[in-house]
Amino acid sequence: MSDAPYLSLEKLTLAYGDTVAVADLDLGIRKGELIALLGPSGCGKTTTMRAIAGLLPVKSGHVRLDGADITRVPANKRAVGLVFQSYALFPHLSVYENVAFGLKLKGMRGTELDAKVQAGIKSVGLSSFANRKPAELSGGQQQRVALARSMVMEPKVLLLDEPLSNLDARLRLEMRTELQRVQKETGVTMIFVTHDQAEALALADRIVVMKGGAIEQIGSPEDIYSRPVSSFVADFVGFENIFPLEQGRLKTSGGLIELPGQAPSAAGLAWRPRMVTLGSGPFRGTVRGTSFAGDSREYLLDTPFGPIKAEVEASQPAHALGADLSFDLPAEKAAPLARFA
Amino acid sequence: MTARSLFIPLTLLLVLAFLIGPFLIIVAASFSAGETLNFPPQGFSLRWILKVFTVESFRASFGMSLFLAIGGTAAALVLGIPASYALSRYKLPGAEIVRTVVSAPIIVPGIIVGLALLRYIVVPFQVGITAALFLAHTALVLPYAVRVVSASLDNLRSDIEEAAVLLGSSRLGAFFRVVMPNIRGGILSAFILGFVTSFNQVPVSLFLSGPGVRTLPIDMIAYMEIVFDPSVAALSSLLAFLSIGIVFAAERFLGFSRYV
Amino acid sequence: MFQNRAEALALALPAALFAAAVFLVPVVILLSDGFRGSDGGWTISAYTDFFSNSLNRTVFLRTLKLGALVTVASAVIGYAAAFAIVSLEPGMKGRMTGLVVLPLMISPVARTYAWIVILGRTGIVNEAFQFLGLTEAPLRVLFSETAIFIGLLQLFLPLMIISLISALENMPKDAIPAARVLGANWFQVFWKVVLPLTKEGLVIGGTLVFTGSLTAYITPAILGGSKVLMLETLLYQQVSVSNNFVSASVIAFILIVMSFAANILLKRVATARNKQRAAQ
Ligand SMILES: Nc1ncnc2c1ncn2[C@@H]1O[C@H](COP(=O)(O)OP(=O)(O)OP(=O)(O)O)[C@@H](O)[C@H]1O
Ligand SMILES: [Mg+2]
Repeated sequence: MSDAPYLSLEKLTLAYGDTVAVADLDLGIRKGELIALLGPSGCGKTTTMRAIAGLLPVKSGHVRLDGADITRVPANKRAVGLVFQSYALFPHLSVYENVAFGLKLKGMRGTELDAKVQAGIKSVGLSSFANRKPAELSGGQQQRVALARSMVMEPKVLLLDEPLSNLDARLRLEMRTELQRVQKETGVTMIFVTHDQAEALALADRIVVMKGGAIEQIGSPEDIYSRPVSSFVADFVGFENIFPLEQGRLKTSGGLIELPGQAPSAAGLAWRPRMVTLGSGPFRGTVRGTSFAGDSREYLLDTPFGPIKAEVEASQPAHALGADLSFDLPAEKAAPLARFA
Repeated sequence: MTARSLFIPLTLLLVLAFLIGPFLIIVAASFSAGETLNFPPQGFSLRWILKVFTVESFRASFGMSLFLAIGGTAAALVLGIPASYALSRYKLPGAEIVRTVVSAPIIVPGIIVGLALLRYIVVPFQVGITAALFLAHTALVLPYAVRVVSASLDNLRSDIEEAAVLLGSSRLGAFFRVVMPNIRGGILSAFILGFVTSFNQVPVSLFLSGPGVRTLPIDMIAYMEIVFDPSVAALSSLLAFLSIGIVFAAERFLGFSRYV
Repeated sequence: MFQNRAEALALALPAALFAAAVFLVPVVILLSDGFRGSDGGWTISAYTDFFSNSLNRTVFLRTLKLGALVTVASAVIGYAAAFAIVSLEPGMKGRMTGLVVLPLMISPVARTYAWIVILGRTGIVNEAFQFLGLTEAPLRVLFSETAIFIGLLQLFLPLMIISLISALENMPKDAIPAARVLGANWFQVFWKVVLPLTKEGLVIGGTLVFTGSLTAYITPAILGGSKVLMLETLLYQQVSVSNNFVSASVIAFILIVMSFAANILLKRVATARNKQRAAQ
């Protein structure tokens, strides 16, 4: 793994007609990396992928791949693979013919073609389905065909747009491992789009969080999970108690509140429900709601901070609705946010 | 039996008798042995059925109608398939205008289309009769071609073209490799619908037909104004069975009604 | 959705230009002819001339009258037939619908021609009437408004029936039993429940039947003969017999205005229904 970016997007601006969907995006990806693109609906994930693939013309900026500027290279000459959310299998062709499609266009014929196609189909465990049409396959199987069809082309970059979102929870887990295995075996550079932070955390080498057509944060799963740079990212990865700081004090709906201890120098602080201390501490709150989640219990508290979400081990004694509890928001546990909103 | 349980079969019987009865009478009359068109037919013979094939003008006009129906529909598809593709896959400036212009010939009565074409295209530009009929039938079938092909394109996900392109195909190649095979049923259905429409069409061809060059239905009208024998009945039955057969086969093998 | 405009235009323009050249431009010129005076200026004198002729007025009113009568008759028969068909079990329903649609595939010339056999001087109706002693001399049914009416009704009834079948099938299943439970008699059920709920189907079918009847050529030509004219046959006569192109242009304009009006109504209803569906 070299440090020079293998795929780089430079000041990339993408638009549909006059509406700009992605503005001035900069991103460098190393060879063999597995990148997750995470962000809310409409933030420009698909748009970015389509531009990398060459399906959407670039308004301004550059796309470089493997040392070459491919900004104006047509989609069929880029060696970029894309697995669609809908799989986009060719309905009139069998699994075998779907996988063979691109290889044939490359001019591959005869035993070489056959060997490659068979290997591709085998690698996703569909050898016994080679003669079926896509309509005769389950969602997960179609997904595998789509993956095999892209992989046999040995693309320089493989893009996957919400590859797992159409699958049920169990299949999703299965395919997740499958994706990881394929990526490790082939070492292909991979970017996948997801809505699901758990998926991104589990799979990716690095996560790119997007917001409103721009990158909000790039970092390792640990970075994103524990050190969100902004309230937006914090909110997205499950920090539920997020406050701005003003002159070292927490700005809440109940006014400015001073935290005990050292005043951190950040734009805001964020706590996961797990980080809230319940049953001791300088503040008091009333239980407004509780929900049981198997191994833990969540409380919604009415406090001088406004509503606070806390989560404790289910083995601890339960508190009733209306109970008055003391709690703490320990500053040393909080994630400091460099940017608010 | 209650009044209600009688109502259903009785209604159906009367309505079907009204809708299909006349056709059955025509079929029966075409097997008549008599000289004039009559029902009940006098005797049974195949003479009128056989006569149809010997009438020179029928042969010529049948050939003309066949040529117009096949050629006109093919031409309409050649124009209509790309247009449908543009309408369903592209952000086309003025898409609504294109759609309206292309489908307008369906709304305007055929006789007016024929007359306008005659006066402002055929006469000033010295267009031959056959060519004029060909233009008219193409314009007539175009709306059906666009409607049916658009419907089957809209039923086909557009990302398969992108997938094909990403696998190395050109845009045009993608159309022929992955779009065409998947809308074949729609195209064939459009062809059959266009064929039947063109073949049965009268008003458009009225003014455009000329000496010796006629479509079959117009020839039949002209014939029955002069001769009142069962040969037109025989011809009608033959044609009806032909088009019912085609449509039935199309429904069987293509699921025709899904597209129309 | 591809973005390339040049490509899109290259694909769409041949068809659009063809339709414009072969159809749109000539028709527009033809229509504008009716508004040209002998001095070349714009005038509606052709229209006042046209309507001042009593034969033309008769033909115009007859066309409207027959169109309306055929539409009403097809609605009445259509409801009965559609009711009967939707109350059948699925397999039978499919077969009956097929039989109703079947005539649409047969050449209108053949379908109209059959009525000559039935209604003609020596046709079935006359033979039967004479046999039963109902009439002495053969009745003249052919070449009359009645013949045209029967021919048009037979030609377009299937369109009404299939529109109403789909309207009835889309009706909420419990609407009729619910109304019955609330004490409505069958007449009230139809008037207060079925009609409002199938209005769109009725309008769609009605538009198809009405415009079809207005613009039919073969039926009035064969069953009306040269005496009982409708607008289309009058237009044909004006051109082929009288060489009167101005009058032809006037008739063409009237026909187009009427069928466009009907089609706009149809589109309105269709969009209203789609919006309603989307809202649900
Ligand atoms: N074909 C299009 N025409 C116009 N605007 C579009 C088009 N496709 C997307 N957009 C807009 O571009 C922006 C980014 O869309 P994009 O599809 O990239 O979002 P996304 O992050 O993939 O969202 P999702 O998670 O819902 O798939 C959105 O505001 C969207 O409305
Ligand atoms: Mg997306």
